[in-house]
Amino acid sequence: MALTESPELAPGANPRPPASPESHSTPLSERLTGFLTNQQTILLLVLIGMVVVFSILNPIFFSLDVFGNVLLDWGPVALIAVAETFVIISGGIDLSVGATLGFSGVIAAYAMQAMTAAGMGDSITILCGTLVAAATGMFVGFVNSLLINRLHLVPFIATLATLGAAGGMSIVLTGGAPVGDGPQSAIDLSVPWLGPLSWPLIVVIVVVIIAGLFLHKARFGRYTYAIGSNPFAALAAGINVKRHLTKIYVLSGLLSGLAGMFLYIRLGSGAPTSGVGDELDAIAAVVIGGVALAGGIGRMSGTVLGSLILATVTSGLIIIGVEPNWKQVVVAILIAAAVSLQALRANGKRS
Amino acid sequence: MTDTSAPLYEVRNISKSYGSVIALDNASLAVRAGEVVGLVGDNGAGKSTLVKALAGAHRPDSGQIFLDGIERHWASPHEALQAGVETLYQESSLAPHLSVSANVFLGREIVSPGLLGKLGFLAQKKMDAEAHADLERVGIAVPASNRPVSQLSGGQRQAVAIGRTVSWARKVIILDEPTNHLGARQSKEVLQVIRAAKAKGLGVIFISHTLPHILEVTDRIVVLRLGKIVKDAPTSDFDVDTLLGTITGLLV
Ligand SMILES: Nc1ncnc2c1ncn2[C@@H]1O[C@H](COP(=O)(O)OP(=O)(O)OP(=O)(O)O)[C@@H](O)[C@H]1O
Ligand SMILES: [Mg+2]
Repeated sequence: MALTESPELAPGANPRPPASPESHSTPLSERLTGFLTNQQTILLLVLIGMVVVFSILNPIFFSLDVFGNVLLDWGPVALIAVAETFVIISGGIDLSVGATLGFSGVIAAYAMQAMTAAGMGDSITILCGTLVAAATGMFVGFVNSLLINRLHLVPFIATLATLGAAGGMSIVLTGGAPVGDGPQSAIDLSVPWLGPLSWPLIVVIVVVIIAGLFLHKARFGRYTYAIGSNPFAALAAGINVKRHLTKIYVLSGLLSGLAGMFLYIRLGSGAPTSGVGDELDAIAAVVIGGVALAGGIGRMSGTVLGSLILATVTSGLIIIGVEPNWKQVVVAILIAAAVSLQALRANGKRS
Repeated sequence: MTDTSAPLYEVRNISKSYGSVIALDNASLAVRAGEVVGLVGDNGAGKSTLVKALAGAHRPDSGQIFLDGIERHWASPHEALQAGVETLYQESSLAPHLSVSANVFLGREIVSPGLLGKLGFLAQKKMDAEAHADLERVGIAVPASNRPVSQLSGGQRQAVAIGRTVSWARKVIILDEPTNHLGARQSKEVLQVIRAAKAKGLGVIFISHTLPHILEVTDRIVVLRLGKIVKDAPTSDFDVDTLLGTITGLLV
């Protein structure tokens, strides 16, 4: 006789094991209530509610132009929020994403300035600039992974160090001024051609979708959750935890570098101060989206919605004429609400 | 018994200290194919430390490890798993946020065919079904494959961990207090699982504080006290009283 699930052992659990995993499907009514209490659904309703309220308070808000601008604000934050999603689910944190964004933008700007001065075409220059930004970001991410894996610094301290180093180097290199004189047509790439979408935004959307697939459908994501859920379990299962963490921090740097290139294209120059403080926006977006700082929990769709809500609040408050610093207060309320909702749901599941 | 055959898995003169605490002091142990060795000792005797050395989770300070007569230096649990040595650790080695099947297949996922598989995309349905079949075959509690482990009872979790260990083992199974969290009837099932593994020709190292279980299912008993092996003898040499006396050191 097999050990059976006994109701005494598992209060509230299905007392009879199903004959096969396929037969364990939830009834429609249960799925519907599950859908309505689902965190993603709530986030979607909050986002729609915000758009409605802002549009009522100032009808100008409801326009393709404004949506386009909200999305341009969203793009770089979305990229580093995706990065933060992987890092935080793995049980870490990356404080260096904002500084890396700025640093990568500056280094790429110098590369593109040199190529332009040498008379190279705009397309090849922008392509090379993108590669330089990506490589610079990956380098910072690799340094993070060395500090964490080899020097055994906790991620908070390791990435705080690279935040300072990358941010400081951006200022030292540039003297604080933006680096321009790059390809003239870069800024034209930000012009929307598909509804509110421009090329860089389409790239961001593709990156977000691919990242979501790797997080939820592939081994890469599975290991990320496992490490954040129980690092010893990951190690005991034969996962090379250090190697996987290296990949995660390098990926985080890569996405930060792409975010730096995104801002370069939007502004037409690499500003050493761009990205300053963006790590807090990314972390806020991810937490609002339902990622737990303790690791092991979160979904990419939550991060997308969280970052969209953040970008909407930022633009919306300006458009309805509210003092912009209220944004911080609204974000604080959203974070508190999201986290307490998670705690309530966790308690509900346990009882 | 099969005492005359060469050992399948063996450690010689293993020592391990944590700072000033000597957890293992020149400990040696061997298990043969088709043999169940009981490892007993008081709390803190060093059993789990020995288990971790055998599993590749710890590097001992000194000593040698042999599998099939070949010396091995495990750099990580991965290498021991690859070589066919499966371990159930005393502390939880399940990822609570992952599903039952994700845990059963952790580190050994089945990927989709073709290009997607090369990119690491998972064949989730297949793993769900196979994990379910594995747990059923082992005869342990069979929670639905897609349930997160955090929603299982302590006993169900332990059953999943044992099921995973037993399903993957090819040569050696190390079970560090497998009957933890289990009811009396479920513990008997674990003993049955151990007998089945023995019948398949695997070497089993079984750790427990429940001495009747040790006496019931093992061929040989190794007693650890304060990091030293104080006794290594056939199970028929012991009864509960002499075993208890040997463990506590009141009887040598
Ligand atoms: N990670 C560690 N750091 C420091 N000391 C440790 C560590 N792990 C174990 N020890 C010490 O090593 C000794 C042996 O511990 P071990 O866990 O091997 O005992 P055990 O025989 O498995 O005990 P139990 O029956 O309680 O599980 C103990 O004194 C313990 O305090
Ligand atoms: Mg122990």
